[in-house]
Amino acid sequence: MITTKLKTYKSILIVFNFLLFASCKTYLAPTYNQVIVDKATEATTETYLFFATVTGGRDKDSYSRREDTYNTLISKFETLNLLAKARPIPSNKTTQRINNLLAERNSLSSSNDYPSAFAFNRIVENLVKMKETDQSSGLNPIVIEAFKGEIEIFLDQAITYESFLKR
Amino acid sequence: MNTKTANLIDSIKNVASTILEKDIALVNGFSERQIEAISKQTLIIKAGIATGEIEDDLITFFLDGLKHMVTNFINTLKGILKVILEKVWNGIIAVLYEAIGIFTV
Repeated sequence: MITTKLKTYKSILIVFNFLLFASCKTYLAPTYNQVIVDKATEATTETYLFFATVTGGRDKDSYSRREDTYNTLISKFETLNLLAKARPIPSNKTTQRINNLLAERNSLSSSNDYPSAFAFNRIVENLVKMKETDQSSGLNPIVIEAFKGEIEIFLDQAITYESFLKR
Repeated sequence: MNTKTANLIDSIKNVASTILEKDIALVNGFSERQIEAISKQTLIIKAGIATGEIEDDLITFFLDGLKHMVTNFINTLKGILKVILEKVWNGIIAVLYEAIGIFTV
């Protein structure tokens, strides 16, 4: 008799738990933010515009004419980096364990919670380095091509990821 | 297996495959773009180093860049896969709930 009652309670508890957990939507990634996508699109257009004006190389003598553009672009991507990291991320114990293991083994930190923020940050580093190079020695065409290539790759990573968050 | 069970299984399969087909196609496109761009970038750096146009600290900077872009490419894929898993999970739960008669928001 007692065993039958226990079984019934167990079944009710299992069904209740299932309904309780399943009724909540599961989130494994950050929320979508239209502002980030809009700002990233705007900054991308401005970056391409800037590269179009320097194609072919530039002397360091004309650096002062480009300084403001560098500063504007750097600040825009720094803002994007901040916005991308400002969202709460659903906690994931598996990812945390993997990161801890990597840290223990001195491996490259994966920082995989914010791939777009990482990309925006690397774009900032590229623009800062390009600005320094421009100021000190000017830019030759292949150096410009290398900066543009790297920035394009990170832009694709950031925009693809951010757009994917719209679900 | 009765008809109701078979229908429910079909609904679950449909919701999962619809999400997977669409999203995996997008992931494939992204991966191909990235692999092509990273290969091109490698050759640009190689050419720049060979001609001496990329030198000193810029060599280190761009080589670090290659490492970072590959790492973040993988992390972006991992991030996208999390979103796909989330969509499949929530899609299946919605089908199960509908079968019980409860409609989730």
